[in-house]
Amino acid sequence: MSLLSILGVFSSAIFSGTSLLYTTLGEVIHERSGIVNLGLEGVLLVSASSSFAVTVITGSPFLGVLVAMLAGALMNMVLGYLVIHRKANQLATGLALMFFGFGLSAIIGKPYVGMRIDGLPRYALPGLEGLPRLYASLFSFDILIILVMPISILVWWLLFRTRWGLGLRAVGENADTAFASGRNPLLYRYQALALGGLLAGLGAAHLAIAYTMNWTEYMTAGRGFIAVALVIFSRWHPLRAIAGALLFSGAVAFQLLLQSSGAQISPFLLDTTPYFLTLLVLIAWGGNRKQSAPASLGRVYHGSE
Amino acid sequence: MAANTRFFPKVAFSSPIMDSIIRYVLMILLALVLFAVILLISGQDPIQSYIDIFATTFGNAYGFSEVLVAMIPILITALAVALPSRVGLINVGGEGQLYIGAAFATWGALTFQHLPAWLLLSLMTLLGMLGGALWAFLPAYLKAIGLVNETITTLLLNSVAPKLVGFLIFGFWHSAMDTVKTDNFVDAAKLPTFFGTRVHLGLVFALILLVAFWAFMKYTRWGLEMRAIGGNAQAARRNGIPVKRYLIIAMCAGGAFAGLAGMAQTSGFYGVLLLNFSIGLGFMGFLICWLAGGDPFGILLMSFMVAVITTGGNMLQLTRDLPYAAINILLALTLFVVLAKPTFFERKKP
Amino acid sequence: MDEEHDITHRSTTRKEKQMKKNLFYRLAVLAIGAALLLGACGPAAAVAPTEAEAPEESAAEPTEAPAEPTEAPVAEEPCLIIGALYGGPITDAGYNQAMHEAVVAIKENIACVEIIEAENVPDEAGATTTMENMISQGATLIFATAFNHQYPALELAGEHPEVIFEHAGGWEMSSNFANFFGKPPDGWYMMGVAAGMMTETNKLGFVAAFPLGWTSTFINAFELGALSVNPDAQTIVAYTFSWGDRAKEADTTNSLINQGVDVITMHVDSPSTVLSTAESRGVYSIGYQNLAAQQFAPEYWISGTGFTLGGKLTWLTSTVLDGTWKPIFLRCGISDGCMAIGPFGPNVPQEVQDAVAEAQAAIDSGELVVFQGPIVDQDGTVRVADGEVLTDDLMSSVDWFVLGVIGSSK
Repeated sequence: MSLLSILGVFSSAIFSGTSLLYTTLGEVIHERSGIVNLGLEGVLLVSASSSFAVTVITGSPFLGVLVAMLAGALMNMVLGYLVIHRKANQLATGLALMFFGFGLSAIIGKPYVGMRIDGLPRYALPGLEGLPRLYASLFSFDILIILVMPISILVWWLLFRTRWGLGLRAVGENADTAFASGRNPLLYRYQALALGGLLAGLGAAHLAIAYTMNWTEYMTAGRGFIAVALVIFSRWHPLRAIAGALLFSGAVAFQLLLQSSGAQISPFLLDTTPYFLTLLVLIAWGGNRKQSAPASLGRVYHGSE
Repeated sequence: MAANTRFFPKVAFSSPIMDSIIRYVLMILLALVLFAVILLISGQDPIQSYIDIFATTFGNAYGFSEVLVAMIPILITALAVALPSRVGLINVGGEGQLYIGAAFATWGALTFQHLPAWLLLSLMTLLGMLGGALWAFLPAYLKAIGLVNETITTLLLNSVAPKLVGFLIFGFWHSAMDTVKTDNFVDAAKLPTFFGTRVHLGLVFALILLVAFWAFMKYTRWGLEMRAIGGNAQAARRNGIPVKRYLIIAMCAGGAFAGLAGMAQTSGFYGVLLLNFSIGLGFMGFLICWLAGGDPFGILLMSFMVAVITTGGNMLQLTRDLPYAAINILLALTLFVVLAKPTFFERKKP
Repeated sequence: MDEEHDITHRSTTRKEKQMKKNLFYRLAVLAIGAALLLGACGPAAAVAPTEAEAPEESAAEPTEAPAEPTEAPVAEEPCLIIGALYGGPITDAGYNQAMHEAVVAIKENIACVEIIEAENVPDEAGATTTMENMISQGATLIFATAFNHQYPALELAGEHPEVIFEHAGGWEMSSNFANFFGKPPDGWYMMGVAAGMMTETNKLGFVAAFPLGWTSTFINAFELGALSVNPDAQTIVAYTFSWGDRAKEADTTNSLINQGVDVITMHVDSPSTVLSTAESRGVYSIGYQNLAAQQFAPEYWISGTGFTLGGKLTWLTSTVLDGTWKPIFLRCGISDGCMAIGPFGPNVPQEVQDAVAEAQAAIDSGELVVFQGPIVDQDGTVRVADGEVLTDDLMSSVDWFVLGVIGSSK
């Protein structure tokens, strides 16, 4: 295990984990307001395919990022309309949205499969230019990676240090009480969904435009569900989500390293660790009210009968 | 905290079955119109597309048999959601329970290859149900002791199951030629099919379960008690009904159904255990059950409708140059239309 | 959110609700319309965008005439209807595209045929359905191009004796079922020669989907080629366990590079992600499956091998048309025009190009056989004895690696 390969694990964790983190942050925001989006997979797919399509057409990855954010927000608005105004069941709506995303992303992306794009440009961290290219390229990050940490902190600040965040969390705990104290739960939830969609779009854009620079059907391969698990694992807290995303992505990179060293951890088993860890967290903290879900989350977290 | 945890709404109309059908037909028409618009925007001819779908599914006997084939797993997974829902449990874990049931059944198929078909298939059926039930046990238990809600646990385990199955296939069971599937099952391990079509015995399983579920809920004492729990768990407990036990049993029974669906799909449809053989069968069952309001007749109807759409959609790829995945849009639109009309469905406020 | 708790209390003005609802609705609808317009922007006819109707508003009539059906009305009957199915997308710059181009070439050479294609058919059950549908549309010659289409096709061959099935890369045969393939190992050997000369760290990397027989054969051929010019060359193998998981491919490529590899190649459906990732790290790459791959690694591309089966498939079709078709185990290589070597990249020195050309000449003349003995595996066991040759049908079930390959073949 050379220094390069150990550093490589960190680098992979960062590259791979960025899209996961953005997606998770988005989901945290609207789950804090009481809405769970099981259709995240579909949202990510539509965002990814639209951003890739736009990048191919216009040649500008930055436009692609913008379109991804927009697409994510709009998909979430569909969920929002059905769940908030039509008062549809959140789980069913989310799943329906997922199927919708499967189909819509396939249609959007079909003409662009296999095309080549110039991805987001990468910038070497200052001070590393002198290193041999192999090392420097490990830590040459695109703008989305550079922004993910500040944005995570921004989300934390938004949720926990602003009036809006307070209102949002109040709505998430008990919408009636929040309403009684003068807040509009509908507005908060729509805003949360919009914001969440923007962030999910960023995650999808990073995957399609910056990391793999590709589009294929079902490209996200379950990342939506991993994000939903990660939200629970980090107990709805943006800063813990950072650690979670790095942990989950780092594990994958570590397993790849082990593959060639002879020590074989089955990649299938390794892929289950995010979920097992989340289950453990749930069991360990299940009774602790302070660390648990926003009380009005979907119909999901009502605790015991 | 809602005392009434039963969330599948029941309709309140005077002549239920007729109104049911009319409403469903209207919903479907609306969805068809929406999808037609999408087809137009994509440069396709919607009339011709719908003719293609109709011709494939109802135009000949083979096409219709394909619809039945597609209907089998989602009918059973819908029941897997319906049964626990009667006690107020939300089982989103059909996907995972399906995989584990398939894995258990596969173990039986691979280990006992020399048994006669009737014995082997019976064994595999039991194994499939056992696998699904076991996979549902942990969520059931955690819910019964009040620690974690079953929705999230079943959801998490959904993602674990296919990977576990992949591990088993790749590590132990894979065929010599191909590491992503097992050897083809021996004939004795495959559910028999009918009349040269691909419709297999799983259809019989599905229909039996459907009728049994309906009769059970309506006519047995246990069904009554379950509905009581679903209506008001506190009151039920005070009346001496062992709520925790029912919760666990109902959830595990739901898991068993889903496991059976997995076994049927693996043994009857594929004849081999494949990596990732289900893209959303369990979730589709959840949606069907929800759309039908947990009602057995509605489940039959909705799973048939979904099967028509997916089977017909296959043909669209050939004739209309649409990606196969596009048919999901029509499915989703149908769901959205139903989801958006709760005024039809909403229970009268107490 | 409890459905029972009606948080939209009557005190919130209806108008406010209505306005908000309408606003979001219009936005969502506009966006979906725009998104679909994007989808239509590609090759589809220019159709004026229509706002998708909201589910609440009454169903409006479509505002333009339906587009032409994609099947152009044929004046005369086609002389043959051919069905072709692919495991992945036909524009993947990889295997599926290569197969697709070969099928399309048939039509260019024999104008009277009609071709029905289905892409993204990865699994057996889907393959059966698709082939049945094709047969019901009149197909009497079917090209099943994905590895796992073999058994569904074989079964259908039994049920439809009037239809001829040709499968890519398999081994089964029957009266109306045969298979065809190129001879990739020869190409891999030549690529190995190039890689062995270009590497400076003596570490080559191979990103593979699954430990399949063919994959192991390719890896072995690659390493043997490298060893022939560079006895210290090693090939490190890493698996993604998926034919098209792009993120995993990127991860795996990076992981190999971080272990010191400076030439990367692959056996996954589409080479594009692996190539782009290698390019972004400044590492050499070699493509496979399709010669269109070079665009993904303009600077560090060495070369690649690809399938160019158009001519052969045309020949097969012509035998079906004139009634002389017989089931044969068809394998053809570079000298038959079934496979080709890609153009060399800008950084490849002349001596490397010459070495590759020499190897090609030696293979064509029969002087050099890639898998001739003695060949020893990673544990030292002799797999092919001195004077013997590994036969074609064994190549698809190889489960060992030659000495010099690092990684597990199982």
